[in-house]
Amino acid sequence: MIVCRLLLLIIFLYTNIKTNVHPLKLSLCEIEYSSEKKLLSVNLKLFLTDVNEAIVFDPYSKDLAFCQTNESKDANRLLLNYLNQFFYIKVNSKILELEIKDKNLKGEGDNTALWLYFEYIQTSPLQSLEIKNAVFTDLFFDQNNIVYIHIDEKSKSLMLDKKKSIHQLRF
Amino acid sequence: MFKPWLNYLSGFIILSLIFSCINDISKINNEKVLIKKALDIHNRVLTLDTHADTPIRMIQPDFDLSERHDPYETGSKLDYPRMIEGGLDAVFFAAFVAQDIRDDDGHNRAKNLCLQMIDSVITSTKRNSDIVGLALNPEDAYSLEKEGKRAIYIGIENGYPIGNDLSNISLYYKKGVRYITLVHSSNNDLADSSTDSNGPEHEGLSDFGNEVVQEMNRLGIMVDVSHGSDSLFYETIKLSKAPIIASHSNARKVTNHERNMTDEMLKLMAKNGGVVQLTMLSNYLREVPPNIKKDSAIAALRSSMKPVAEMTEEEQKEARESIKKLNDKFPAPLANVKNVVDHIDHIVNVAGIDHVGIGCDFDGGGGIEGVFDASEIMNITIELVRRGYSEDQIEKIWGGNLIRVFKEVQAIAKKIQTEEV
Repeated sequence: MIVCRLLLLIIFLYTNIKTNVHPLKLSLCEIEYSSEKKLLSVNLKLFLTDVNEAIVFDPYSKDLAFCQTNESKDANRLLLNYLNQFFYIKVNSKILELEIKDKNLKGEGDNTALWLYFEYIQTSPLQSLEIKNAVFTDLFFDQNNIVYIHIDEKSKSLMLDKKKSIHQLRF
Repeated sequence: MFKPWLNYLSGFIILSLIFSCINDISKINNEKVLIKKALDIHNRVLTLDTHADTPIRMIQPDFDLSERHDPYETGSKLDYPRMIEGGLDAVFFAAFVAQDIRDDDGHNRAKNLCLQMIDSVITSTKRNSDIVGLALNPEDAYSLEKEGKRAIYIGIENGYPIGNDLSNISLYYKKGVRYITLVHSSNNDLADSSTDSNGPEHEGLSDFGNEVVQEMNRLGIMVDVSHGSDSLFYETIKLSKAPIIASHSNARKVTNHERNMTDEMLKLMAKNGGVVQLTMLSNYLREVPPNIKKDSAIAALRSSMKPVAEMTEEEQKEARESIKKLNDKFPAPLANVKNVVDHIDHIVNVAGIDHVGIGCDFDGGGGIEGVFDASEIMNITIELVRRGYSEDQIEKIWGGNLIRVFKEVQAIAKKIQTEEV
């Protein structure tokens, strides 16, 4: 057991000395609503190192292998478990259930981002939109979560953080 | 029995202690004199920071720049009270829009978001007109300083909100934008980034990027090559009729990072009459040192955990809290003021004293040990004085050089516009 732990420690130190987590703690969320298409879509861009740190407690873990052929069967469940605690979108006072429609990886190294796509049919007119985005604020005091909102032709941007993680818009 | 050597020895020890104390007192006094001299210089010269991503904080609901914020609470690094505390006279607020889809919809959205940030800067300067003022021309920094106000200039970080429409540049100019960083961390329709994982797309500037640079020259907007690929730098410096700037970049010879500038680039900057503004981003200032204590503590914690898939939600939460405690206990080592001035020394040696300035990148990742936020910027001046820089040289570094370039950019714009008539 001791040898095993020592080996883990050596591997960990080796991989971490060579690496360098992105300096700016940031996530990006884009919410788009088209009254014509009656469609609300959400794109969430998260740095993969942050996702791994939040879920498997190791920024450089390969265990979940998001978007790889060997992706873990637990990957989506663990990710959604985490997101459900720190992220929601309420439309007309009703929380949208998070179901990943699509996801992919973009970028390289420490800048690799996991893009998550959610899509909802929204037939009734948008009266209110409430966003909670506190992802990774439980890990990093300086985490900033930028939210871009595009309602038909109108756009608005917001920044949410640990101190202020929820914002509501009324239409 | 009388032992004279014992008396000599005691005397020697007492004298040594006295000399050592005098030496220490002298060192403390010298340090006090040095700090006083530095702070006096810091108060006298115009201090101008060319890059703060603070507009992104201004889109935060309820965020008020007139209130003092704790940088360790949310990461906010700059507000008006801390500008006053740090003796920061002028700043360029850069409206940053993250690179997204490059089609008409994407460009329109980027433009709207950019305008929202610019408008929030303008509104904030109006609301706080007793302590700050919107600055549009180089002279404004000095006139506002005389009035006891801080000068707020506006820039745009990333040419993405220009889209494919040249007339947007004029719109931004009229709003008060005085520099545009052509590209950010991914390629856009104008130019190649130094950090796009797909590599170069335009071999520097696109045809449209060429037109953008010329239009910026015509209007009197400074062309900013920070974040650009090396090819972008060479093409831009060749094309631009006015001197160019790097609003937040360092020296690659000192820290080997693709965001930093090679000696060849620094020499060309000098020839061009432009200026490189040093940034306070730790990873651009020194090689990243290992954080062995944290790494080993986290490794030990992790090895004692059961597999995540078998953990309850409560156990996962506890594990995250434990990781956070270790992150807080062993924070990533930051670069320091000596690293900053090492870069300044190098640029001065290679390009000369007239081609270096400061662009901290507060609220965009900037913040180091000793200059963690805007309230601590005087520590740069103290280190400059310690290394023997004169007041004239410090005045150039802290704003004189940038103002010179700014004036030249405006003069060239005027000439271009006159020739057009």
